[in-house]
Amino acid sequence: MTTVAILTALVLLLVVGVPVAFALASLGLGLLVAGGFSPLMVPQAFHSVFDNFVLVAVPLFLLMGNILLKAGIGRDLFDAVQAWVGHLPGGLAVATIVSCALFAAISGSSVATAATIGTVAIPEMLRRGYERRYVLGLLAAGGTLGILIPPSIPMIVYGVVTEESIIDLFLAGIVPGLLLAGLFILYAVLRAALLGGYTPSPRADWRVRLTASARALPTLALAVLVVGGIYVGAFTPTEASAVGFAGALLLALAMGRLDRATLVAAVRDAMATTVTIFLVLAGAKIFGKAITLYRIPQELSEVLIATFATPAGFLLAITLVLLVMGCFLEALSMLVLMMPILYPALLPLGIDPIWFGVYFVIMIECALITPPVGLNLFVIQAVARTTIQEVALGVWPFVLLMLVTALALFLAPDLALYVPFQLAR
Amino acid sequence: MTSGARGCPPGTPLSRLLHRFETLVDRLAQLAAWLFFLIGLMITYEVVARYVFNAPTIWAFDLSRLTQIWATWLAAAYLLRSRQLIAVGLLYGRLGPRMERLAAAISLLVIAAVAASGLIWGLRIVAESIRFGRKTATMLDLPLWATEIAVPVGCLLLLLQVAVELARLVCEPNYRLRFARDVDEAEEVRQ
Repeated sequence: MTTVAILTALVLLLVVGVPVAFALASLGLGLLVAGGFSPLMVPQAFHSVFDNFVLVAVPLFLLMGNILLKAGIGRDLFDAVQAWVGHLPGGLAVATIVSCALFAAISGSSVATAATIGTVAIPEMLRRGYERRYVLGLLAAGGTLGILIPPSIPMIVYGVVTEESIIDLFLAGIVPGLLLAGLFILYAVLRAALLGGYTPSPRADWRVRLTASARALPTLALAVLVVGGIYVGAFTPTEASAVGFAGALLLALAMGRLDRATLVAAVRDAMATTVTIFLVLAGAKIFGKAITLYRIPQELSEVLIATFATPAGFLLAITLVLLVMGCFLEALSMLVLMMPILYPALLPLGIDPIWFGVYFVIMIECALITPPVGLNLFVIQAVARTTIQEVALGVWPFVLLMLVTALALFLAPDLALYVPFQLAR
Repeated sequence: MTSGARGCPPGTPLSRLLHRFETLVDRLAQLAAWLFFLIGLMITYEVVARYVFNAPTIWAFDLSRLTQIWATWLAAAYLLRSRQLIAVGLLYGRLGPRMERLAAAISLLVIAAVAASGLIWGLRIVAESIRFGRKTATMLDLPLWATEIAVPVGCLLLLLQVAVELARLVCEPNYRLRFARDVDEAEEVRQ
């Protein structure tokens, strides 16, 4: 009964338009006061959430991404990949997927990816005769690859909320991220080979290839240094984020693409995104503490375990719930809302929390691009100035490929767990 | 940065006060942005000191967290002012003007309640830390209140920004309180 009342109150607050951070915090505060618990927990949570060295990685990765974004590396990446594979069947689509994956991994933002790669790739793909719906779907889906491939802000948030190792989460995301990108590429090649309907790009000569690669290579080297440093255990995620930040700064300066205005804009955007994320985390912490005092996660997880006795049933139910939530909530809010409730059920069901982090992230992104009303569809619609129906129709094949990846992850958990627990040990 | 309280009668003391406060909020957000940048420099220095010179600092760990707490709270009011907090925008554009204003008022009062509790109870925590001489359990041995006081300061700024928004809600007929629907959209708004 209490649980239903709390969930109803939360939905009401969210629907009225109260920001997620404050809807969660106010409900947590109300529960603390109503239950006779000390409201001192509110300022304590406001302090302790940010007094966290691991979270320092969030602003630094965002600074790295924003500096590189504003320095125009999106175009460099696309040009380089395009020079190598553009002439192959579906080559332009492959170049779009690969540059989306690289750029999204570095920038950590699916919309920045769609906007940056999209402005270059959409006109080029349309000019070469690719179907419009397919191009939009490709960009909507391509941007989502970034949160699986490290560094990933949602993975950091998952690690902070569940107190799991962020290094393990980053490493666990690598293979599923590459698998998903591989499936997208395979689909693009097969589609081009079977359906045709496009004009192949001319083969770039070696001079063009080398020039384009030389421009993109430093950024790639920085990404490899950041992820590789974490992989070999040289850096913690926070240290890696600082290396990425300093590297991005030096790169942009060396390329002569960082003037004062660009830097100010990059620093301001990174600040605003950081504080937005942090406040949601703080609100979720207060809400999480309050509902734990009411034993709601424990009771709900008992119900979940009793109802869905097997991991498969549990995961199916979570998937369906996320698909619905993705219609009106963004990725981080879904994560911070669901994890305190789901986490206690994982171990009794024999589900590895690191594996679940990867599965959850795939499902969140899937939910955000699932028609009819996944939130990211609106973003792509706005970027491409088109109708939501057109994006929705184009994105379906990619949603299916995401579900295939999730299924593969379920059948072969080592796709996620081998790298952190076997290879990197 | 967004514009000042333009709907309120210009030239009145209230209008000037609102404008001054919002300028302060914008400046504090700029300061916060550069504080995050400073954290980047601190941790970079730590990485170089540790791995190149094998001489890790004793301050980077503590000061980066201190700076992070302050930067976050100095910018919180700006996020409300610039509408960059994340909300579920289900009803945006679907309510009549009166209902939209009512929804805005409810949102603002909820934010005010949270900020007020952070201010009142946060000050109590600070007072206790000063009284008992609490310090961080780290090498630098910093007084805890130096970071704890950021919470009531940030909550006070947030509370004052709510007051500014309520004043604008009353005196601006076309007042709107529509937030970003996700982090990415907030980025789009800024770009």
